[in-house]
Amino acid sequence: MPAIRIGALLGLTLWPAFAQAPGTLAGDPEAAEAGLAIYRRHCSSCHGNQADGGRAPNLTRGSLSETQILQIISNGVSGTEMAAYASRLSSDDIGRIVTFLSSAINSQATVTGNAAHGEMLFWGQGDCGNCHAVSSRGSYVGPDLSGIGRQRNMVYLRESLVAPSADIARGFEGVTVVLRDGKTLRGVERALDDFSVVLQDFSGKVYSFDRSSVRSVTRDTESLMPAYGKTLSAAELDDVLAYLATLRSPRDPGVRRR
Amino acid sequence: MKLIPLTLLVVSIPASISKAADTNWTTYGGNLAGWRFSELAQIDATNASSLAPKWIFQTRIPGNTESSPIVQDGMMYVTAASNNAYAIDLRTGHAVWSYSKTPPKPLDLCCGEVNRGFAMLDNRLFKVNIEDTLVALDRATGKTLWEKVLGEYLKGYSGTLAPLIVKGKVLVGTAGAEFGTRGFVDAYAPDTGERLWRFYTVPEDGAPGSETWGKAEALRVGGSTWITGTYDPELNLVYWGTGNPGPDMNGDVRPGDNLYTCSLVALDPDTGKAKWHFQFTPHDTHDWDAVADPVLVDLTIGGRKVKAVIQANRNGYFYALDRTSGQFLLARPYTEINWATGIGPDGRPLVIPGMDPSNQGTKVCPGLGGGHNWSATAFSPQTGLYYFGSADGCQTFYRHDSEFVEGAWYQLSDARDAAGERTKGSFLAIDPATGEIRWRFEMVHPPSGGAMATAGNLVFTGDVSGNLIAFDARTGKVLWRFQTGAAIHAPPVSYAFEGKQYVAVASGSAVLVFALP
Repeated sequence: MPAIRIGALLGLTLWPAFAQAPGTLAGDPEAAEAGLAIYRRHCSSCHGNQADGGRAPNLTRGSLSETQILQIISNGVSGTEMAAYASRLSSDDIGRIVTFLSSAINSQATVTGNAAHGEMLFWGQGDCGNCHAVSSRGSYVGPDLSGIGRQRNMVYLRESLVAPSADIARGFEGVTVVLRDGKTLRGVERALDDFSVVLQDFSGKVYSFDRSSVRSVTRDTESLMPAYGKTLSAAELDDVLAYLATLRSPRDPGVRRR
Repeated sequence: MKLIPLTLLVVSIPASISKAADTNWTTYGGNLAGWRFSELAQIDATNASSLAPKWIFQTRIPGNTESSPIVQDGMMYVTAASNNAYAIDLRTGHAVWSYSKTPPKPLDLCCGEVNRGFAMLDNRLFKVNIEDTLVALDRATGKTLWEKVLGEYLKGYSGTLAPLIVKGKVLVGTAGAEFGTRGFVDAYAPDTGERLWRFYTVPEDGAPGSETWGKAEALRVGGSTWITGTYDPELNLVYWGTGNPGPDMNGDVRPGDNLYTCSLVALDPDTGKAKWHFQFTPHDTHDWDAVADPVLVDLTIGGRKVKAVIQANRNGYFYALDRTSGQFLLARPYTEINWATGIGPDGRPLVIPGMDPSNQGTKVCPGLGGGHNWSATAFSPQTGLYYFGSADGCQTFYRHDSEFVEGAWYQLSDARDAAGERTKGSFLAIDPATGEIRWRFEMVHPPSGGAMATAGNLVFTGDVSGNLIAFDARTGKVLWRFQTGAAIHAPPVSYAFEGKQYVAVASGSAVLVFALP
């Protein structure tokens, strides 16, 4: 089957790579086609027609391994609307769904940059560590990137570098608060409800307000992350991507995540 | 006064700090008319800011607790997700008994293993289980007295609503219209569980309404009945809302109005026969169920007194109908609408062409959840206003084509927030005699909890951020709020116990009760 351009509706092209799970038919186009039909019947009402999310999560980010997806489809997720499908679909059919998801995001993207130079840029000129952490080095104001080479594909990460507002990581949306005296604060939205707002700036300082005590609160449509398409050359972007591709640590269970 | 109380509510309003006689909350809707109004006034606009938690009961059951508690004889009876329920001592917040039954697998559910509460008759409690059974429990011990199958869960039927007691019968509906089920309202004998009648919301071949489908009987599906109805004893009519036709997003395979989906039906509780129906959204393709509480109020419209039934419909319009005849009285939009230019004099929407879901996506306002979805609404005879939450925004609706397979998802695609937009919410008060919005409280997120009004001139609701909020019912001014720590997906109730008025609400997997110090 033709590769499905996941996220085409958003003008994005995302090709996360999966590790192959036992019981799936990776690369088998017929299995993927059959998997799409099964997916459409059982999954698309919540996860979207193209698996790129609806009221349930986007499945095309590549943030789960094939094995994890297989387990979640089979056993469900307790306390959520995600049901267990092991008793309703055959293991072959579940495998076909996983194959469809894999095929839809089968990454051919290659990394050509110099990872060592990319690491220098990351911690130096790019100042990425001001917001991001890699294996406990850096800051946790932005997403932890310790395993990002495993969690996201290169097309997605390149987009994140040059157009960070295209898909803002959940839990890291920006918010702008204008105080009564006209002073403006911008930071990561840690909480926003009908009465209060809590934000955290790049230094890690936390600000908490009753909304009635400030002039305005606005959820940002732009990412807090700067776009690097102009500050880094094309070769330098490749180098940073090559470095990010090497970051494959499992998540640090000791670090609080949003 | 243009509003005539339907039932003999004792609206004697005591002085604010006076003792409140023990007062229960015995039905899902607070009364048979679905007002969700408490005549208690110990908590009022002058002292609501002092409300404080008295106890918190933790069910420890994952998933949303959507239950509206029943309060009687010093006990609170509350259901939780996944076939759990509790009898809680009002004084201490400790459980006296619990009920639990492991749901079978596999279950086809659109929206979790949720449950919205008990109905009570004498010494029995009645609830549905998620696998679409009706169970009767002994009120003293929680012992199961009988359990009857409503619909086959392997075919996609499920049970989530609180039953309704009418003339000694237990009335229930069913969920499952995302799975090609056929909706119904049933009546059961409380002592034996014998089914007394069934009304199908999708007519049989040859019956009136069957001509509005253009397809074989086997494929006429939808019209689930997943929220509790109301009852007018004078007219002897039960009012029940119905959900979407199936498949939800692709109307090509079901040309016609698809009666009696997205409708309100008025049933004779003695026979289960329909006296009238009114369809809000003919040939729905946006999942705009008409299941919201049908609230029974007496209005004066254009100088004429009329027994009305009102509903904030999921399609974005507020409606008032004559509840004797089903005749359309008025409709007014309460949120942004782009799919119709208005509602015609016959009650039929003036639909703008090209707003059906499409392969490339069609932006429609309101979104899939409405407007106002299912969460409980409130009517205060004191203010004459009708209160409910609304999701305000637009979504992009997609469709695809697939064959019907019994018991499998039959929604044929979905909707999501339009690119770069986030659906917001509001909680609002409407004058039901005109549809005019009296006040609106803007919310960051779409609302999740239901509403309750009290004779203390208050109206309560919970939001998805966990705030339980008390408003001045006349003005919408926020008088008090409490952060409960989890999204509130349930409506509050109020009762008096040992001289004190309480407000109770489920939040996350807990039940919290509040009172003045």
